[in-house]
Amino acid sequence: MKKIFFGSASFCIATLLAACGGEGGGSYSSTSKEGEGVSGTLDFYTSQPDADAQGLVDAFKKQNPDVEISIFRSGTEEVVSKIQAENQGGNIQADVLLVADSVTFENFKAEELLLSYESPEAASIDDAFVDPDGTYAGTKIMATGIIVNTNEVTDLPDSWSSLTDGATKGQAVMPSPLYSGAAAYNLGVITRQDDFGWEFYEALNANDIMITQGNGAVLESVATGEKNYGMIVDFLAARAKNDGSPVELIYPKEGVPVITEPVGILANTENEEASKAFVDFILSEEGQKLASEQGYTPIREGVEAPKGLKTLDEMTILNAEAMELLETRNDDKAKFGKIFGE
Amino acid sequence: MTAKPPKAEERKKRDSSFSLFFQSKNLYKIAGLLVIFVFFLLPVLRLVWLSFVDDGSLTMQYYTEVLKEPATWKTVKNTIIVVLGSTTLALVLGILFSWIVAYVQLNGKRAMQLFIFLPFVIPSYITTLAWTQFFSASGPVTAMLSWLPGEPQAPNLYSIGGIILLLGISHYPLVYLFTVNVFRKIPRELEEAAATSGLSKKRAFWKIVLPLALPGIASGGLIAFLSNLDNFGIPAFLGTPANIRVLSTYIYEQVVGFGPSAFSRAAVLSVILGVIALLGTVLQWFLLRRSRVNETNRSDSTPRIYLSAGKQKFLEVALWIFLFVTSLMPLITMGALSLISAYGVPFKLENLSLRNYEYVFLTDSKPLSALSNSLQLALLTMFVCLVIGTAVAYLRFKYSDWSTKIAELFMTIPYALPGTVFALCMIFMWLEPIPGWNPGIYGTVWILFIAYVTRFLVLQVRGSYTAFLQIDPSMEEAARTSGAAGWVKWRRILLPLLFPGIISGALLVFLMALTELTVSSLLWSSGSETVGVVIFGYEQAGYSTYSTAFSTVLVLGILFGGGLFMLLGKLWDRKVLKTK
Repeated sequence: MKKIFFGSASFCIATLLAACGGEGGGSYSSTSKEGEGVSGTLDFYTSQPDADAQGLVDAFKKQNPDVEISIFRSGTEEVVSKIQAENQGGNIQADVLLVADSVTFENFKAEELLLSYESPEAASIDDAFVDPDGTYAGTKIMATGIIVNTNEVTDLPDSWSSLTDGATKGQAVMPSPLYSGAAAYNLGVITRQDDFGWEFYEALNANDIMITQGNGAVLESVATGEKNYGMIVDFLAARAKNDGSPVELIYPKEGVPVITEPVGILANTENEEASKAFVDFILSEEGQKLASEQGYTPIREGVEAPKGLKTLDEMTILNAEAMELLETRNDDKAKFGKIFGE
Repeated sequence: MTAKPPKAEERKKRDSSFSLFFQSKNLYKIAGLLVIFVFFLLPVLRLVWLSFVDDGSLTMQYYTEVLKEPATWKTVKNTIIVVLGSTTLALVLGILFSWIVAYVQLNGKRAMQLFIFLPFVIPSYITTLAWTQFFSASGPVTAMLSWLPGEPQAPNLYSIGGIILLLGISHYPLVYLFTVNVFRKIPRELEEAAATSGLSKKRAFWKIVLPLALPGIASGGLIAFLSNLDNFGIPAFLGTPANIRVLSTYIYEQVVGFGPSAFSRAAVLSVILGVIALLGTVLQWFLLRRSRVNETNRSDSTPRIYLSAGKQKFLEVALWIFLFVTSLMPLITMGALSLISAYGVPFKLENLSLRNYEYVFLTDSKPLSALSNSLQLALLTMFVCLVIGTAVAYLRFKYSDWSTKIAELFMTIPYALPGTVFALCMIFMWLEPIPGWNPGIYGTVWILFIAYVTRFLVLQVRGSYTAFLQIDPSMEEAARTSGAAGWVKWRRILLPLLFPGIISGALLVFLMALTELTVSSLLWSSGSETVGVVIFGYEQAGYSTYSTAFSTVLVLGILFGGGLFMLLGKLWDRKVLKTK
């Protein structure tokens, strides 16, 4: 940032631009392949919380000190918009992408923006979470369950039907699929289950469920007791409980939809070697242990889940085909908007 | 109006003496407009272009599609209701407060001014959180209402009314900021003359004070209008649960929607939003057309109305209650949240700690570097806007022809668009301004700087322009005849008169840039994180306790800075201007 003051001496914008042009040119040095280690620069776009993304990068850099990784972190929706805009602008800057769900990656795959790379580490991950064409692979398991306020609710529910039960009318809250990618994924999956379908969402609406922008707002709402029940991604609820919030996380017996925060490499990456090494690291046993330490359910078989969360084989998973979800996502959102319309 | 023809004639005469300048004047005009076009409009046009093409061929398909949907019109209707309602509220509150502060003898005015700013500075997610708790079933409003007969219900904030209320409260400081100096400059003699000619105080207010204050009111109203139009946080927070969409939230929904048509549809909606913004700007021109100044006064902050001691006390208490609810309550809510260890634990001593502050300022290295980045960016943005914006305002004031009007329109658009959309425009534009050429601005801190300047320049232009409107043209002529020309004229005569208005604009640019969130969240890059980016990151990760801790320090810092500034102002008044 010293640059700013340096530049501020002159106000002529043209000079400014010229100065920047000179600076920017040097930052993308090409990869030099010396010895076995990878090197060069990487642009890592992710929606993981800042501290977690930084932890991941730091751990990778311990093994590959010659790689410089720049992190761009924002919400999944913002990251996706940024990449789409960069694509429109003619030049995608990201090398490695790690965001919420497989549907997002199917979308980029359909636009042919992803590189096909079958990481050797992906062999230890359930095939259901790895793209057979190798454009992306899941990195963790994030289930959506029910959160309840334990000050207000003593009789803990075990079923999704607790949210549509007349006894909880006006007491529940959920994230909006129009804002949250994870909620949009859940909408697609749940409406495709025989036991739920669109009737489930109609029943939620009839039960006066409140819709918030994202999962964070659901947590606030339930933890403060504004509402008693909520649909929420599991790690937020578990972490809040560990921090002392009066909440409990429940995995309903019917099963839970999960998103896997997949990782993929952009097709026009300028540093394929380092990108591949980074993906390998994220999927490796060490990378997965790190995810578990950070409070997420790891996706790799044989790595333990952190306290308060279930491991993959303890959950019943509600699933749907990612490609189909992609094709119908806009229609699903529109239908959701109609059901919950005024 | 009567003074206009001779003025124009005089100007022509002057122009001819600078014959070289006159010949190249149109050239300058066009060159200037071109620069403004490239920086302000071209990025937006790149987005708009998407609404016209489909697979490389021109089409009106997106327009017919979007305009045919009833959801679009419902959204437009909501937007118009919300924006008109909240702008009216902001105008009423802003005018009321600025008039009282400028005219009435009160104690503690400077502190009052500081608290008037707060609702504008406190992040909107904090404001909405505080207000929803205030009105919630366990909140104070419900408790107070339960004492009243007839069991009245607390109003539901998750409604159009709630959105209007919070937008109005968040943006009335803008009207205040632009209007208070204008009120102070209204010549006392005019009102005295009105009183001697038998005009009642009330009629004098409508006939004399209000029309003279119009430049400030129109500028402040316009900025409040644009701010209400582009605001995302409040309608998203309050509108989502009630399924109320306005253009800014609807555009966001489209942007994050999938498929190649997402941006195209967003572009169509942005065009609608742009049209509304332009209509507002043009309406404001019509309002200002009739206002003119006959006398130039130095800003005069001694009160003109003295109330009896009892009445003054009553007014002070009433104002402070209002400020307490609108400014302090959100601040206290924020401070309280920042002290608890986790959401939902009772607010008891054993649950309180400075743990969140410790994490934010000692453990995590990002917030401090973000604070330093944002401060530098905000200072630089303010300085550049101050120079360019005041220059543009001067031209707009001196040569109010089509070229300066168009320039102003161009500059309005980046401020009116929702932050997310404007950030996308910046990416389209600056990634490869010319296909195949990447100047390396995108991905560095400079893209943020350019974005801030283009987005906030209009605030400075309005602030400075309002200040210029307060100056009788004769002042400048008088300066010239007395031999003061060029820099001397500016330094000795114009700047001291303009100072308060220009500073208001600069202060606004500074605060906006310091706390900016939506644009930064798409444009920052490693090492250039801003305050908004860090707060947004904490919020999204579910660490609201961290973001409140950071916001609390930020707002207290602004309060402290503001307090210091006002103290210096007091010293300036005493030592330099020798008033009081």
